[in-house]
Amino acid sequence: MDETTVSLKFRLNGRECRAEVAASELLIDFLRDRMNLTGTKRSCDMEICGACTVLLDGKAVSSCSLFAFELDGKEVLTIEGLAGPNGLHPLQRAFIECGGFQCGFCTPGMILLAKSLLDEKPDPTVDEIRDYMDANLCRCTGYQMIIESIQRAAELAREAKP
Amino acid sequence: MTIAVGQSIPRIDGQEKVTGRALYASDLKLPNMAHGKILRSPHAHAKIVRIDARRAEAMSGVVAVLTRENLTANAPYFGTYIKDQPIVALEKVRYVGDIVAAVAATDEKIAEKALGEIEVEYEELPALFDVDAALAENAPAIHDENPARKDPKYGYGASLLRHDDTNIFYHFHYERGDVERALKESERVFTETYYLSGAQHYPMESHVCVADDRGEEITVWSATQTPFPLRQEIARMFGLPLSRVRVIVPYVGGGYGAKSGVKNEALAVALSRLAKRPVRIYLSADETFKTLSDPGAKVTITTGVKNDGTFVARRCEIYFDGGAYANSGPTVTERAGYRAHGPYRIPNVKTDAYCVYTNKVPGGAFRGFGGPQVSFAYESQADTIARQLNIDAVELRLKNLLGKGESYTAGNIVIDCDLKNELKTIAEAIGWKEKPEPSKTPGVRRGKGIACAVKDGGGVNKEANAMVQILIDGSALLFLGSVEIGQGVRTALMQVVAEELSLPPGKIQVAPLDSAFTPFDRGTHASSAITVMGQAVQAAARDAREKLLALAAEVFEAPASEIALEDGQLLFGGKKAAVSEVMRRHFGDLEGEITGRGRFKVERREDAPLGYPATFWENGLAAAEVEVDEKTGEIRLLNYVSLTDAGTMINPLHCRGQEEGSVLFGIGHALYEELVYRDSQLANPNLMDYRLPRFRDLPRKFHSIIVEEGGGTGPFGAKGIGEGGTLAAAAAICNAVYDATGVRLYKVPLTGQRVWTALAEKPGAKRGE
Repeated sequence: MDETTVSLKFRLNGRECRAEVAASELLIDFLRDRMNLTGTKRSCDMEICGACTVLLDGKAVSSCSLFAFELDGKEVLTIEGLAGPNGLHPLQRAFIECGGFQCGFCTPGMILLAKSLLDEKPDPTVDEIRDYMDANLCRCTGYQMIIESIQRAAELAREAKP
Repeated sequence: MTIAVGQSIPRIDGQEKVTGRALYASDLKLPNMAHGKILRSPHAHAKIVRIDARRAEAMSGVVAVLTRENLTANAPYFGTYIKDQPIVALEKVRYVGDIVAAVAATDEKIAEKALGEIEVEYEELPALFDVDAALAENAPAIHDENPARKDPKYGYGASLLRHDDTNIFYHFHYERGDVERALKESERVFTETYYLSGAQHYPMESHVCVADDRGEEITVWSATQTPFPLRQEIARMFGLPLSRVRVIVPYVGGGYGAKSGVKNEALAVALSRLAKRPVRIYLSADETFKTLSDPGAKVTITTGVKNDGTFVARRCEIYFDGGAYANSGPTVTERAGYRAHGPYRIPNVKTDAYCVYTNKVPGGAFRGFGGPQVSFAYESQADTIARQLNIDAVELRLKNLLGKGESYTAGNIVIDCDLKNELKTIAEAIGWKEKPEPSKTPGVRRGKGIACAVKDGGGVNKEANAMVQILIDGSALLFLGSVEIGQGVRTALMQVVAEELSLPPGKIQVAPLDSAFTPFDRGTHASSAITVMGQAVQAAARDAREKLLALAAEVFEAPASEIALEDGQLLFGGKKAAVSEVMRRHFGDLEGEITGRGRFKVERREDAPLGYPATFWENGLAAAEVEVDEKTGEIRLLNYVSLTDAGTMINPLHCRGQEEGSVLFGIGHALYEELVYRDSQLANPNLMDYRLPRFRDLPRKFHSIIVEEGGGTGPFGAKGIGEGGTLAAAAAICNAVYDATGVRLYKVPLTGQRVWTALAEKPGAKRGE
């Protein structure tokens, strides 16, 4: 199938990247199949569940509903790029500590959405967490323990800053 | 002080899952792997007159097209209990979405495109979209011949009634006492009918598998809850010995019953056989909706009582809308029938539970397994009875609830927890004696409701095997067939091994699940892993420990019985040696290992109605305070408390996660989730139109209480957990709505429209008697 291709320059998990993508290629397929970043999960495929959430220039987006070419000139963060050289991100530690996941399939998207929340509001109230996180679905936890995980992550982040 | 049991140690899959490194079946890529896509029926019931796949086969990139014309299986039908579902349609299709053909191609887009090139000519047949139509006298048969089946042998009071040549594919009957006479002699008799909509499990990861048929052996990677039954079905269907079928289970993105039994694995094998390469099938969300559902149900319940509220007799009639194929419908029906009379002391009981074929998505296992359907009915009716008799709803239940140690039926284990005390605890937690504070908004009414339910836990006729190896460096490996579907079972059972071997949890690794080296297990369902597999794992750890002590006896030249194992050290008198040291002294420099084996099997009891006792009683209590907006019919949960007994918590954090997750399933069923059919079509097979519970649906005030009464048959007194929360939710919420409005809701979910209509039709009406 001949198709227009697009040349892209972007940053992926902190590294400069270049790629040729088909015009119709979806971001989720580009990440999972071309970049082998399978931490980004496919579920509802219609921007409802948030399992495929990645951060594009710091904002949470559904990679199932964006074209890969929309990466051009932007910075994308997937779950694989979240942990720093000194270990897990406070959200990752908090999700383990507070039982913020079970099957783990929604977790990469959930953690990235929570990162975008904490970047905007480092100390969110429960209501703010509920409203913001309402964009993503989890079928296992019942949500309460995710809320607690995010509160705990905010606390860990505060402790890390002198 | 324990080493591991009772501690919320971090889950062993935690790091991988929060970093995106966890490998799920849907992430798997094999060299030369083709992608399978499925052609599904547009008709609910039709004969296939002709299929022509030549144009699809000729397409570049297509490596196989599977239709009935080229299917080569020894046995083309599968099914957990009734072998009624073909790999691809043979004579006819039976629901919209039924599998007609499949294509494997080098990429998904080509496979998808090739589906459009398969010509199928159908001859439509009259279709049946509900149970009443399927039971009508001249209803067409959805299955023309009676499919092969293996029926269970029931014990005291239970029987299976066959209705061959009708659309009823399962009829479970249970009876004790003389119900008709007792109802006649009852001072009051209540009859009501309750309805539950069909629902979708929606595991976040769709059904997915990769199959590699290499002629003389088959390997299947699948997101399955039942790897060994799957192996057995694949071996039978494709005519291979069990030893040549290998099932590997990577991480599974949610199960909830959906992933029990064969899904698309046999189809992937058949495609792989044609394509001579591995084939992956990953269903879209839409296809997941069209693969399996929680069957909708109608439950008619009649209870005879004395004026003082004592239950005397109960008659239940349950109809499940089983869809086009039996799947686990027979056992869901059996279990609903067995559970229908509830945790009450009722001398006279008669239950008939039916599962009926219709031309809809097949019904099957769903978290709670028939329990939520019947508990909605009996716990709603308990409320009706209490109000009609002017008895407090808690008092009425306390009067009739089975006490700890009392029998539910003959042949089963006795009730293993104090339901009465639990009910008092949850009533206290919701402030049962205080009236809700009235809303300041006009037309908004508040009320409280309560419910208490049980299910026999751990499945029927279960068997599990496990293996524990102690390696020469003092670390250990645990092999078990329980699938990690999120519940944390592999962490919890590792904790059991740590406790038995006195090893720190970090020294024990849990081996991946691969039927080539994992011992046999019947499946991860019915909250069974802790009690059933737990006993096998504990036995395996103890066997390994005994063998280790025998080695230490040689080393210390002392009787094994006098050697202690503590904290990774073997102790005798004043002498002390690390496990690794004892191992090295026995095996020498060359490596060696100790292998401990454990098996647990539930023994048959002829007097048990289902043939086998349960391994524990799973309980679910709920108390809800709701707000009903009379203008819109909207219901808001102001406060929700759930309670369950875990026996002993192996890992408290994960127990809480299981309980709260199952509560949200129950709330989803009660308020939002409903499969909507427009004639033949499932109208909402996607998350835009099918409403799952979201963050904002979590009740403002919400907490779970997990009690530890220590009465479980699992290791250290543990009981299973994870389904209890689904049992009481719908009734507790509907009872609260009644308290708020005086209107009884007979059908869930309580959509705004349904509630508004009920309020408009019968304001303050008192139905039910």
